[in-house]
Amino acid sequence: MKNLILSKERFEHFISLLAKKHNVMGPVHKGYDNFSFQPIKTAAEMTLKYVPTIIPPKKYFMPQYESFLEYDKTWGENMKAVVESEALVLFGVHTCDIAGIKALNIVFSDRPRDYNYLSRKKDVTIMGLECNEYCDEFASCAMMNNHLPDGGYDLFFTDLGDFFFVEVSTLKGDVIVEEIPVFEEALGRHFKELQGLRARKAKTFTNEVGIEYQHVPKILSDTKESLIWNELGDKCLACGNCTNVCPTCYCFNIWDEVNLDLKTGKRVRMWDSCQNEGYAKVAGGESFREERSARQKHRFFKKFKYMVDRYARFFCTGCGRCSRTCMAQINLKETLKKLKEEYAR
Amino acid sequence: MSPKPKVAFFDFACCEGCQLQVANMGEELLDILGAIDVVEFREVMSEKWDQNYDVAVVEGSITDNHAVERIKKIRERSKVLIAYGSCATIGGVNGMKNNFPLEEIRKSVYGESAKFFDTIPTHAVGQVVKVDYFVTGCPVYPPEFVKVLKCALMGINYEVPDYAVCVECKLNENVCMYERGLTCLGPVTRAGCNSWCINNGNICYGCRGMVSNPNIKGAQDVIARYNIDMDLVQNKMNMYNKCRELNKK
Amino acid sequence: MKIQLKDSLYTLVRGKVLRTRQLTELEKLFEIALPEGQSLDHEPGQFVQVSIFGVGEAPISICSSPTKRDSFELAIRKVGRLTRALHELEPGDEVGIRGPYGKGFPVTLMEGNDIMIVGGGIGIVPLRSLINYIIDNRRDFGKVDILLGCKTPKDMLFGDEVETWQKRVDVNFSCTVDRADPDWKGNIGLITSLIPGVNLDPNRTFAAVVGPPVMYKYVIQELRKKQIPDRQILVSLERHMKCGLGKCGHCQIEHFYCCQDGPVFSFDQIKDLEGAI
Repeated sequence: MKNLILSKERFEHFISLLAKKHNVMGPVHKGYDNFSFQPIKTAAEMTLKYVPTIIPPKKYFMPQYESFLEYDKTWGENMKAVVESEALVLFGVHTCDIAGIKALNIVFSDRPRDYNYLSRKKDVTIMGLECNEYCDEFASCAMMNNHLPDGGYDLFFTDLGDFFFVEVSTLKGDVIVEEIPVFEEALGRHFKELQGLRARKAKTFTNEVGIEYQHVPKILSDTKESLIWNELGDKCLACGNCTNVCPTCYCFNIWDEVNLDLKTGKRVRMWDSCQNEGYAKVAGGESFREERSARQKHRFFKKFKYMVDRYARFFCTGCGRCSRTCMAQINLKETLKKLKEEYAR
Repeated sequence: MSPKPKVAFFDFACCEGCQLQVANMGEELLDILGAIDVVEFREVMSEKWDQNYDVAVVEGSITDNHAVERIKKIRERSKVLIAYGSCATIGGVNGMKNNFPLEEIRKSVYGESAKFFDTIPTHAVGQVVKVDYFVTGCPVYPPEFVKVLKCALMGINYEVPDYAVCVECKLNENVCMYERGLTCLGPVTRAGCNSWCINNGNICYGCRGMVSNPNIKGAQDVIARYNIDMDLVQNKMNMYNKCRELNKK
Repeated sequence: MKIQLKDSLYTLVRGKVLRTRQLTELEKLFEIALPEGQSLDHEPGQFVQVSIFGVGEAPISICSSPTKRDSFELAIRKVGRLTRALHELEPGDEVGIRGPYGKGFPVTLMEGNDIMIVGGGIGIVPLRSLINYIIDNRRDFGKVDILLGCKTPKDMLFGDEVETWQKRVDVNFSCTVDRADPDWKGNIGLITSLIPGVNLDPNRTFAAVVGPPVMYKYVIQELRKKQIPDRQILVSLERHMKCGLGKCGHCQIEHFYCCQDGPVFSFDQIKDLEGAI
């Protein structure tokens, strides 16, 4: 691991050179304070001070729609397992979203391994970007302890006014800083400025919910029967927005698509949501989470308990997307606060 | 090799826009024509067919007694019947007729000649005869039409997704219409169109009908929160979905 | 860029339908062989993913015993798009197979103990694999009780085979229906009514329970009344599944994936889990 700096004057040049050699994706403003990771060629196309993108960068690891098997009705040898993947550089990924990618890595590298995900992961270079300030009132990254860099990236950029502080975290990252010679060595004063920022952040990024995240599983277990879940169910439109925008939601559906010759085709997978009507329905028609309240409860438990039990990792990153996108105003932070109050009683 | 399935296209009360969607499909249409034998299609050919159909593709809603008789005959002659377009699948905009007394409607449309024309409340095709496949939409979304056609040719069922347009809209990473200050029916409308309208800057008009289990109360709360007039939403919803009231009777 | 993957978890093996037999109006039995005499090598209670390309894929319980090595059997109820298409298959046709998947009944752990089998309705399908395994290795197990229940006598799957179990002297067999027909000589009533009459030593009894979702709660209550420890009550749970690989999320029950950690669980594992029973 080494530390470098990139002067602001050279930043545009860096992005242009990077985009000449690589497919670069960066945060782009789509209007109405909405952002999206999109292909970029120049720094000017990006907005680096951005609220989390509509869809997290998980779309580059597990695309919304993906074919993984191609077949011929006369199959045998004509059946091929395939993955579509291309080398990408993601620039400007926030720490919350890096935490999301780390969570997905665990799921898809757990045995049996998912080779489609893993071969795409191999092709992605992640360049993180630190949030100096809060994006908005929906975030709870400080509670989840995801507001500071903690690995999971190849390079990590921190904006310190005249320059970016750049942490080189992997060999992949090192190759890039070697091939684009715009970086300088980080000196003592640069470190000092970084520490200054982190000290300021320690004051502004404080636990948004007032619960140590380690306590959430216990709070949830003890409020299983709470009426709060029914309130969420009454509000919820089951539109699936909360899960589709979640950086750690990974559920998918599988089906076949035939070509018009009715002999060849492919098997595809597409993101699915535990909030959708048919998600937990078995062939006989019985649905194991018929009520919207049960589906919302499943979502909260999955983020803060089930996955913690399974992988010892919290699957909420604190990015705030689920609350930001919810038309029914189901708010994660508020819900946790209410549950805690009920738990304390 | 078995002969290609005989497919016929029919229209009832509609704008024929769905046929136009099919006729305009371009290269993919050639692939379709390679897989089927089109024996009737008023929009593109004048020939008629006097035998049975493997697949009948029906556009438009049923609005008079003559249409009732005609669709029943088509049903008798068809192994498989696909209703396509909102007029056929859910009654669509023709359903607005059902907002008014029949006599009044008849007079306003036909004036003095009204007595020569019988009329009935607008029905979706499935409210008159058995329908095997539904391709909703105003107009139909061509990729979904092709998907359903393939299911029909393979003899397997097609299920219209039972989740909201929001699901596909999010996957397409569109900016939510509500954030733009617009009223969109995506949250209660059945997906399957790949959020076609919103991708192109328009709101969802609900042309695909409602999800099977909409949270009406929750939707009302959301509408109130965005300061949207309930009647406006009701009107928007009824623009395509008036005929569903016939199911309740 | 599209790359061909050498190993994918989704690759299928070609299964050949050897024989089919209509069991009831809705259920059909398929005997399937893998290429080149390959054995499926499953445990009783496991399932396979069955595909017809272009139509789809679904998880199906294996209903034959692993002691039958050259082929395996699936009893398939016609309920959905794929199963309808499967019912059209004839001997000689091919289906795609991957698996076996999941945890089956822990037969090694059960060896030397008494076995009580409780099957409701279509639950007999995965249990048949276990029953025939036990019968084929009869000396490895203690006392065996088989309790079966279904709606009406004609809904009983594998009637001929059930009769052979009934005739065995080394198996205690009882059976009940919700509604009898004039020829019915057995019990009438719920399957729970059969449990109190079984004479058992709870500490050396494993109960294997499979049936419709509503059945578990009541059967387990009766088994607990008999003092059978929770870890010796084995259930097989049905959930919506897509991948069978613990990834797609559909079959999740708290921190378990039914497809990988189940479908067979001990009651001990799942009794406190939300929505398990």
